[in-house]
Amino acid sequence: MSPTARSARRILLVVLLVLLAVMPLIPDLLPDQGWVNNSRLFSFTQMFMLITLASNWNLTGGFAGYVDFGHAVFFGIGAYGTGILMNSGWTFWPAMVLGAVFAMMFALLIGYPTLRLKGPYFAIAMLGTFVAVREVVRVWKPLTGGGVGLTLPPYLNRPLFYWVTLALAILVVSLMWWIRRSEFGSTLIAIREDEVGAEMRGVNTTVNKIFAFAIAAFSTGIVGGLWAYQNTFIDPDVVFLPSRTIELVMMSMLGGLGTVAGPVLGAATIYWMRDVVWASFADYHLLVEGVLLILIVIYTPQGIMGKLGDRRATSLQEVWKRGKTADEPGEVVAEEVVP
Amino acid sequence: MLGGFYAAMMLGFSVIWGVMGVINLAHGELIMVGGYLTWVLNTTYGVDPFVSLLIVMPVMFVVGYLLQLVLINRVVNRPILSSLLVTFGLSIAIANIAKLIFSADPRLTQTTLGGAWSVGNLTLPVTKTVILGVALLIMTSLYLFLQKTRTGKSIRAAAQNKQAARIVGIDINRIYAITFGICIAITGAAGSMISPTQAVFPFMGAPLTLRAFTITALAGLGSIPGALMGGVVLGVVESMIGVYVPGIGTNLAIIASFVLLVVILITRPQGLFGGLRPHEEPAQI
Amino acid sequence: MRKLSRKLAILPALMLAVAACGGAATQTTQAATTTTAASAAATAAPTATTEAPPQFAGTIRIGAAVSDTGKYAREGQDTRHGYDVWLDWVNNEYGGIKVGNDRYKVEIVYYDDEGDPDTAANLVERLITEDEVDFLLGPYSSGLTMSTSAIAEKYGMVMVEGNGASESIFSRGFKNIFAVLTPAGNYTESALKALADKGAKSVVIAYEDTAFPTSVAEGAKKWAEQYGLEVMAYESYPKDVADVSNVITTFKNLNPDVFVGGGHFNDALLFVRGAKEQGWFPKAMVITVGPSNPTFVTEVGADANFIIGPTQWERTMAYSDEWFGTAEDYAQRYENMWGDAPSYQAAESSATALALQLAIQAAGSLDMDAVRQALYDLDVVTFYGPINFDDTGKNAGKPMGSIQIQDGVINVVAPSASAIADLIYPAAGWDQR
Repeated sequence: MSPTARSARRILLVVLLVLLAVMPLIPDLLPDQGWVNNSRLFSFTQMFMLITLASNWNLTGGFAGYVDFGHAVFFGIGAYGTGILMNSGWTFWPAMVLGAVFAMMFALLIGYPTLRLKGPYFAIAMLGTFVAVREVVRVWKPLTGGGVGLTLPPYLNRPLFYWVTLALAILVVSLMWWIRRSEFGSTLIAIREDEVGAEMRGVNTTVNKIFAFAIAAFSTGIVGGLWAYQNTFIDPDVVFLPSRTIELVMMSMLGGLGTVAGPVLGAATIYWMRDVVWASFADYHLLVEGVLLILIVIYTPQGIMGKLGDRRATSLQEVWKRGKTADEPGEVVAEEVVP
Repeated sequence: MLGGFYAAMMLGFSVIWGVMGVINLAHGELIMVGGYLTWVLNTTYGVDPFVSLLIVMPVMFVVGYLLQLVLINRVVNRPILSSLLVTFGLSIAIANIAKLIFSADPRLTQTTLGGAWSVGNLTLPVTKTVILGVALLIMTSLYLFLQKTRTGKSIRAAAQNKQAARIVGIDINRIYAITFGICIAITGAAGSMISPTQAVFPFMGAPLTLRAFTITALAGLGSIPGALMGGVVLGVVESMIGVYVPGIGTNLAIIASFVLLVVILITRPQGLFGGLRPHEEPAQI
Repeated sequence: MRKLSRKLAILPALMLAVAACGGAATQTTQAATTTTAASAAATAAPTATTEAPPQFAGTIRIGAAVSDTGKYAREGQDTRHGYDVWLDWVNNEYGGIKVGNDRYKVEIVYYDDEGDPDTAANLVERLITEDEVDFLLGPYSSGLTMSTSAIAEKYGMVMVEGNGASESIFSRGFKNIFAVLTPAGNYTESALKALADKGAKSVVIAYEDTAFPTSVAEGAKKWAEQYGLEVMAYESYPKDVADVSNVITTFKNLNPDVFVGGGHFNDALLFVRGAKEQGWFPKAMVITVGPSNPTFVTEVGADANFIIGPTQWERTMAYSDEWFGTAEDYAQRYENMWGDAPSYQAAESSATALALQLAIQAAGSLDMDAVRQALYDLDVVTFYGPINFDDTGKNAGKPMGSIQIQDGVINVVAPSASAIADLIYPAAGWDQR
């Protein structure tokens, strides 16, 4: 690509981001257009949240190769942290930040032991953590309201949530882009490719893994807090949804694990699929979704980014090579061919 | 009391994981399929759930065999996450097909076995005792099958070292399909057995799969004595906490079982009892 | 780097495209169903009161996001069917809603909320901002009512609902939510009163720790104490529970007169089977969800006998009104239209829409403030029971009914005003059913 073409594309990117940023103003500027309204802003807000969450998941799951099946636990802690603080008189913004700090602290606490586990064991330990925390929330009634949940003061300023989530998504994706090129990012990739080798070269893998885990948890906690405020009430079932984690895995995989743009593309595609597929198949939509998931895994292991020819896109094959060699001494990895 | 059932329920899950390296997230849904088969037999032909095992198990074996050949075989050589996602997709698909066919209403089968017998001050419901008996029978047969028969030995060889097994002339694909078939048959049997005590409905699978995870982690992959012990440990822990903590006992029991899971994973990732894929002593079995 | 920026550049374009497609979402207007349903009703129940083709002065658009798929698919369908029975009646038989001297045709705009609170909130917002509906009807379930009522409140738009009973909906100070159903706290009142009158002395309570069952259990505790029953245990258990034998073991040792419990249909089956297995037969079992559903009797069989449960509505209840006639008339109408018997979810949905209609007619205008005030002032008796909203939007006028399964038949046993059979207490042992 020529330098001119590159800068042209950059200009295009900036123009589109500016367009996205001014979108909430359109109803005021052009009262008769009828396409941009609060409901549409809400849809975009949800998509920005998913993009942020998938990018966070991809930091540990895609970059460092630690596939986390309980990432939604940080979402839940962020949401409940915010809800509990707001119910004891805090205003939203500090409550949200502190809620996210709780999520990060929990990540440090749980990450230290679990990140020593390899492959599927880490995934399952996180799943167990997720369920255990959800049940604690159910039981700890004086604090969490138990199964009844908590209500938050309704404040449904859609343009505001739109801008905040858009800014958050841009911030997090830029952060991922920066991490990907930084030494920290290279270290994470090294951990994914060959953790023992990285250790032998003097990399403190534990600190790096936990650092990545904590960043992801903090940012996911923020999204949890925003979601809680936007939904105006939380209970264990709407906040701790197991499907939320699974969706993040799907989105990252579909886009391409270990890439910056992959989770963004994946999240946008799946969100779009939801709206269209669900609308056209009413009774069958979950069935269709299940079948699509199977097809994606079988036929595009490197995701959209892999199809687009990004060398950085990685397949699960790569991500799990380390875990596999550790798991199965007799396995010859090179024998397996990915279509 | 529940231990035996837990163990039978997760045995298929554990052995598939141990032998093939596939974490079958559709496990709970396959229990459900077994449950619905039993329900259909029970309501249309009046077959007792325990008698229907004779029909459900062969049918589920065929289902498992075909699933392996058509679907799982494509991802079995890929990393474990691929098979995880494929089976997750499968679980969504099965649950929703069941909803389309049977609707979301819960179903219950009727068994002629009922009542309870008392030993001292302990009351043992007859149904659950029979479940325990059948579970033990299935487990013993599987254990003997794996230890004594030629196919059983091939399965264990494939679990231990696929390359070597292939070199000595074992048809890995066939062995995998048989393993999957047997495990799904056992899983279906679990579905038959719970149908008289617990309602069968399309979205019952996920909690069962999670439970199977917990016990497998407790027990060690593919270890049959481990499965039994893991099931019993979990059953005892849950009922002790459930009975003796007032107010929130049943909830605390759930928390305890998952905390137990995480702690055991961290301290003894090979499970309490080792298994088909021991990490530290690879030469055994 | 180059490639990356190229890829990044297409993202916003893609996102816009995505959103554009998303706009085409799940709307289904009721046109098709209404025609078929209307013709069905016309052949089945021809009515003399219908005027010659009514001249409508305009159309009132009512929005409803109700589950068509997802975990509430079944109840959501009942809810829609209930709304549609009213819709068919009001357009084709009643001649449209009366506003002053004019008649207005009604159109219901439906969306499928998939049982997901995010989706439900978004769709209600879409109904208000994009479809510009005049009023809202509620979704199925307390959780979805929680998230959608906040949207309705934000826009100051009236939402009448009949399927969200959780007390927390009404404790938020909202001015635009009205519920025709009896709130969860009162579910067990009439049953406990009747049992106390029959001489029951003690009660144990078990509940699933989600919003609605918890409200029911808190209410049960309150009413038990008020009617002089000793509460011997108060146990929660988690959602999706597979085994309640621990709870039953604990309760059996306490030997109470009355058991109150439940949360889901499945739990109801677990408790009945579990109690029988362990040879525990309390003198009365009150199960909060399940017994009033005819499926309960078919699935549980003879063991279902003597089991007591709360019910919002039964077709045998002695209520009637000038619009749908008696409860039984309504049930007939429902059967003619849909081919199966109405559940209470369906009946309360029809009553919900009827309450909105009556308020619009009383207000004599489509002005939101006038209709809201008319809802607060509303005090009528319908086929579904009395409707009289208090300051929080709860229906203060309607008592909860209780049924007991007697010889496989669901009989209303309390309160005395709507009872058709006497409560049997104490119940016979499991082996005598």
